[in-house]
Amino acid sequence: MSADVNPGATTPSALAGVRVVEYTETASASFCARLLGDAGADVVKVESPSGDPYRRHGPFPDGNADPDWSGMFLYLNANKRGIGLELQDPTQKAASSELVAKADILIVGGQSADITGQGMRRQVFQHLNPGLIVCAITPFGLSGPNSTYVGDDLTAVAAGGLSFSTPGVPDGVLDPAMEPPLTANTPLAELMTGVLGSAGCVAALLARQFSGQGCEIDLSLQEGVAAVMPYELAHAAYDEAKKRELLGFALMPNVYMPCKDGYVVIMAVLDGHWRSLMRAANDPDWADLEVFSTARDRARNWDALEPLMLEWTMSHTGEEIARLAQERGVPCFPAYTVGQMMESPHVAERGFLQEFTSPGKKSFKLPGHPIRMSATPWRSFRPAPRLGQHTVEVLQDWLGWSESEARSLFDAFGEQASARAVRESKV
Amino acid sequence: MISSPPPLRGIRVADFGQVIAAPVTAQMLGWMGAEVVLVETESRFTTRVWPPFADGEFGRDRSGGFNLVNNNKLSCSLDLRQPEALELARDIISVSDVLVENYATGVMENLGLGYDEVKNLRPDIVYMSLGAFGRSGPFKDLTGFHSVINLFSGLAAITGYPGSHPRIMGGLIPDAFAGCYCVLAVLEALYHRSQTGEGQFIEVSMTEALTGMIPEAVMEYSLTGKEPPRVGNRDGRKSPHNVFRCLGEEKWVAVSVETDEQFRALSNVTGNVGWADDVRFATVTARVENQDELEALLQHWTADQEVEAVVAVLQAAGVPAAPVNDSADVLADPHLLDRGFVAHPEHPVAGTRPVLSLPWAADGRRVDDLRAAPTFGQHNQWVLKELLQVPDEEYERLVSSGAIG
Repeated sequence: MSADVNPGATTPSALAGVRVVEYTETASASFCARLLGDAGADVVKVESPSGDPYRRHGPFPDGNADPDWSGMFLYLNANKRGIGLELQDPTQKAASSELVAKADILIVGGQSADITGQGMRRQVFQHLNPGLIVCAITPFGLSGPNSTYVGDDLTAVAAGGLSFSTPGVPDGVLDPAMEPPLTANTPLAELMTGVLGSAGCVAALLARQFSGQGCEIDLSLQEGVAAVMPYELAHAAYDEAKKRELLGFALMPNVYMPCKDGYVVIMAVLDGHWRSLMRAANDPDWADLEVFSTARDRARNWDALEPLMLEWTMSHTGEEIARLAQERGVPCFPAYTVGQMMESPHVAERGFLQEFTSPGKKSFKLPGHPIRMSATPWRSFRPAPRLGQHTVEVLQDWLGWSESEARSLFDAFGEQASARAVRESKV
Repeated sequence: MISSPPPLRGIRVADFGQVIAAPVTAQMLGWMGAEVVLVETESRFTTRVWPPFADGEFGRDRSGGFNLVNNNKLSCSLDLRQPEALELARDIISVSDVLVENYATGVMENLGLGYDEVKNLRPDIVYMSLGAFGRSGPFKDLTGFHSVINLFSGLAAITGYPGSHPRIMGGLIPDAFAGCYCVLAVLEALYHRSQTGEGQFIEVSMTEALTGMIPEAVMEYSLTGKEPPRVGNRDGRKSPHNVFRCLGEEKWVAVSVETDEQFRALSNVTGNVGWADDVRFATVTARVENQDELEALLQHWTADQEVEAVVAVLQAAGVPAAPVNDSADVLADPHLLDRGFVAHPEHPVAGTRPVLSLPWAADGRRVDDLRAAPTFGQHNQWVLKELLQVPDEEYERLVSSGAIG
């Protein structure tokens, strides 16, 4: 599929032989399962006749809402096999139980009450499969006073503390009344929590080597967000929660400043960085003033320092400032757009973006996998499945069904899926 | 329930982490039962000398930034500029299963602690190397802190208000989030090692971890060549989908409505039964189209109420809503406390402070023994004399020469 993967199709995978079955319609749980598939686990995604809602999400490369070419679905479900099961149908429900009986890991996601209501809890499967690891990713968790709360990405980013702290240092809110707390235009909480969920699953595999027992991993989107904010939380634990306004510069410069062609970030808090920055700025006569000698002094006297620095930044482009500073080891960078990032030589050389071609011959890209392992390198084993695509082979591989048994289930599911599609198109 | 060993019992981690990212990785491995030896050098102090400090008083053992990402670790202070200290660092590595580091590219190699050297000391080591831009490519040597990563990865570009400039996510998330990816990577490698006996070198870049969070933006740009928009808190598939001011200073509630059923419930509990049948709001398409109007109406309803009351009323009706918590709210959240996600270890210098625990519970279990971050060099004697069996006299000599401490 893309040029940088499959360096040797025979390289081993870290989670080879691990069987994962996934029932979810959430980005977090789907991404969690995908990451295990990226590491070589055999991941089977179970879909109902309606199919995962992300099939209807887009972006759609060819303009038409082809459920097999929805960008988010492709991203969340690569390196999985797909099986379709109508759980109202007794035969298919039985097949579902058999899959769970054979699995090492069961991944579920959704609202807590639904997961418990659908019997997707480890205690339900305890006798069927004592070694089973169940990973449930929910908005607020399976336990605790708010466990019945419903939620999504926005509520998680808010309840986990990230929204309040955005924009973060060195950016900041100038007018709190006009600039409410903020999230990004992407399902950040879902994807971050998915990464933690997969770590929890692999930890449980290691624990099972001692105990022989599975466990139930209970992880919330709220916790997934809070987990990535230790430094913000340190302020609350040691002093007080950081204000949203740019009041308390403790150490400077750690700023986001206008420059000739946009914005540039300058981080020269360490004394060595500050001296190097001043060399990059051609040693202006104010560089050695005692009032700017430490990061704390520079923060205290920021009102005086800022216009002096602006004089320098406004006479250069972001790229120029970044080059001058980075040559001297000072963290500094111009603001990149998504396009500038994607077209940068750095991203190209590392081959991070994965290329796809749609049925309508549109080529497009999605992010690749950020973990690069020398002995068990990431591979793009297979693109996201079509609805029910691997039903027959999974029933044969995992459950030892005959081809005719498997095919008859697949046909029954196909009829249910078409009937559902017709019904839904009339609504 | 029978108490079984934690997942990483018997695993030792040599932690060469700096600032936030790799320290977060090693801390999480420690929470899972690994013995983490933090190798610290005074000349390379970062978070230990950064605020906030306990009671506002500067001190290398008083930093909240350090103490929140170094729980469950042993501190061994070695001056890595000295050859004898480096030799001790090598000895620590040779009895470790995992090494984590996030120095600037090339620093470990210059110290003689690159993977090629280390694998001779410990062939089956899992060597986790985390770089801002990764360890290859034209930008590999660039120093990158969280703001730089936000601005390079594309995340800042899709954060902010329409017509305004890009904004940086709070919480230093590039560091901590990349650190979480490294936890996954190390666990995968340990699982592989448990099956095959083979260690390996792993590389993660902070920018790639973050770009992996914006798949839709990447795909849209590649299809259209147009920069994806900044949309504030809005979502083209949901409305209302925003934060709304409540009673009090800087108090906000997040509300997200996807279905007509949720919207009808919201209409009812806010005393606006007519909204659900109003042509402006009856369908999600209409609600998104008229969101300025709808948000203003909802804002009017929330403005004179406590955020807790708004959340309780909306949640009781099945409408997704949550308080916009600041970091103090998170540490004091009764729900998170009940779930055991916040712990209160006692630190010998900084006192008892709230810290987060492992982000997931396995059968209700998080961290068996959550221990506060170490003071500088707190475990030198244990690590060097007990673990490495450095004789007493030799130890005293190395302390006097400054190699230790």
